[in-house]
Amino acid sequence: MTPAVEADGLGKQYGSRVALDSLTFSVAAGEVLGVLGPNGAGKTTAIRVLTTILPASRGRFSVAGVPHTRAADIRRLVGVLPESAGYPARQTGEEYLRYFARLFGYSRASARVLAEALLAQVGLSERRTSLIAGYSRGMRQRLGIARALVNDPQVVFLDEPTLGLDPAGQRQVLALVRRITAERGATVLLSTHLLAEVEQVCSRVLILNRGRLAAEGTVSEISRRAAAPRSARLRVSAENVDRARATLGGSAGIEHVEPGDGQVGSLIVMLDGPGSPTSMNDGLRALADADVPVLSFELEGARLSDAFLAMTEEA
Amino acid sequence: MAASARTMSKRHRRGWAIVGEQELRDLWLGGRGLLLALAFSVLVSVIAYLTATNQALNFLEQRESVNLTLQVAIAMGSLLALLAAADAVSGERERSTLESLLLTPVSRLDLTGGKLVAALSLWLAAFVITIPYVWFLGRGIDLVADAVITGVVVGTLLAVFLASLGIVISIFANSNRVSLSVSLFLLLAIFAPTQLPSSAQKGWAGELLLRVNPLTAGEHYAGKILVNGHSWSEDISWLISPIVAAAVFSAIAAIVGARCIRLGRGATE
Amino acid sequence: MSMCRAFGATLAVPSVALVLAAAGAGATASEISVNVDRSQIRTQLGHTFVFRTTVANHASSTTGSLIAHLNVLSLREGVEVDPEDWSTHRTRYIGTIPAGGSRTITWKVHAINTGRIALYVAVLPQAGLTRPPTTGRTVQLVVAERNTLNSGGILPLVLGIPSLLGLIAGGLQLARRRR
Repeated sequence: MTPAVEADGLGKQYGSRVALDSLTFSVAAGEVLGVLGPNGAGKTTAIRVLTTILPASRGRFSVAGVPHTRAADIRRLVGVLPESAGYPARQTGEEYLRYFARLFGYSRASARVLAEALLAQVGLSERRTSLIAGYSRGMRQRLGIARALVNDPQVVFLDEPTLGLDPAGQRQVLALVRRITAERGATVLLSTHLLAEVEQVCSRVLILNRGRLAAEGTVSEISRRAAAPRSARLRVSAENVDRARATLGGSAGIEHVEPGDGQVGSLIVMLDGPGSPTSMNDGLRALADADVPVLSFELEGARLSDAFLAMTEEA
Repeated sequence: MAASARTMSKRHRRGWAIVGEQELRDLWLGGRGLLLALAFSVLVSVIAYLTATNQALNFLEQRESVNLTLQVAIAMGSLLALLAAADAVSGERERSTLESLLLTPVSRLDLTGGKLVAALSLWLAAFVITIPYVWFLGRGIDLVADAVITGVVVGTLLAVFLASLGIVISIFANSNRVSLSVSLFLLLAIFAPTQLPSSAQKGWAGELLLRVNPLTAGEHYAGKILVNGHSWSEDISWLISPIVAAAVFSAIAAIVGARCIRLGRGATE
Repeated sequence: MSMCRAFGATLAVPSVALVLAAAGAGATASEISVNVDRSQIRTQLGHTFVFRTTVANHASSTTGSLIAHLNVLSLREGVEVDPEDWSTHRTRYIGTIPAGGSRTITWKVHAINTGRIALYVAVLPQAGLTRPPTTGRTVQLVVAERNTLNSGGILPLVLGIPSLLGLIAGGLQLARRRR
């Protein structure tokens, strides 16, 4: 099946400054891809190149099966919410969406119907005849998402859609993102700083750093690959806590053991140096040999945030 | 709404008309155009009142008053068109609304065309507002028709020239402030020859300067018809530079608009 | 006798030459007449009128190239008249006129000032400027006042148009605020 987005050796340069370098990835149809990276990593540049706003300096790409040489055709098939997009203050939300619908080829009558439907979908029906100047930031972002859906796109690019929103606004926007994929079957590329968003919504993640691809994969793949678990949480019976601490303290690979908070008998085991999923094996064997029953055990793996920091700080 | 339900209208192929219509709505229903028209009408009212109530007005001075009113309309109407055009692209850039427009299938040329239409509407409005004043001042001396026709021809040529110039500046300027400053500076430079003493305007060099400058050439042509009663063809050579300026700069605006509209130097990450 | 004859012949040759030269230079100023078709014109301020001048050559030879020039002046002291404002092409190069022939020139004139105005046409040769010009009869022009402007009537216009635009602008602002 043709990927929804495919990039091969994509590069973008401004004079001597390299904004994107040899970016190669693909996104399957219907996927929600998170694009992560620190400031200046090239996320917005990548989106602008893929949506034909900026010309690529090198490489090739295709969107919805349309090659990069047919920019106007790509624009008909994508919807974009740019980062920090502006809105005309003196237009109403309805007027704004009608205008863009007409720019995408809708007649006056169908543009009106479409605008009403989209405003309902993003929860702005009641404010459709209000001037955009009176919209809150969250409302403007929802209006921007509605505008990105005007042409019923196959691929939707959302650049920092929750930027500047309060938690409630962020939740609303993320819910919309989920609906876009669920109800429309569109492919979504979501660029964001908020790792929690990516963990909630995205099936796969790209991490960019200084214009290059630092990592690509599912959230758990990246977490596992980038950083090993550093601690474990286990529970023993209350009377065995001291014995368990003494046994584990003498095992290889374990730095120290401290009481866990919350449940009785809970212990937190800090691993010695960068561990691995098998780091606790010696400790668990020692406990078994010492006849200390383990009531529960959980290896606390590195979170996506740890993987992100590890990949972007080291580079 | 499924793609199959989309109704492709003929207007999809005339993107400039859709852009132009929305720009006109924003300009006039948004209020800015009406405020500019109001300010213009106050200016013309003051001039017309001072002229008309001058009891010592002789016949020639009445012709000159019609000419003066029309010249003010042409100058101010063209200025308004220039200022609107100077905001066309750089204003969108500053308000962060340009990117969304560039993401639509509408060509950059259509975008430029639509904005030019909106800018020229300010000239048209200024001229329409001026007609009643010209009618009042000129009806006693059978000058109304000549004044209206002269105004339409000369004013439209100059408005097209200046609006096209404004759009070109707007496309390259990174901020609205730069765009408006450069536009006003160029306008002042174009108006400067009108302030030369009459002795400097005589002679081959002075006349060449007046002929080459579209504003002074247009002003001269209108004056000869309205004040001196010349026929349309007698001084037709003075219309060459306004015609050439309008044609050349609208072509430049079309070429530049089609190829050079960018998000701007700040559009990187 | 022979010396006298010789002297006479000597004088005659240049005299004949002078006469021949004079004849070759064309008709003299007195052999050209300038006539106007109207001597009295009454009109109103701002109107345009036309009169014609006929330049005739009564000589037996063709004239040299001629220039006809229209002049305008006020018969009332203290009133300055700028001829440029009255007629655009006041100088006409009419070329030569054959013997017995004539040329008619039509002058289009705008009545710029009121009162008693005189117009006359002077014809002079393009070369040989020592000859005085030939003028035609003066055309007596009387330009009556005409009330071309009711200055008081402009007030409704001057107040009305800005007021109308202001009302429309105000109405739009209100409508927008209500949104």
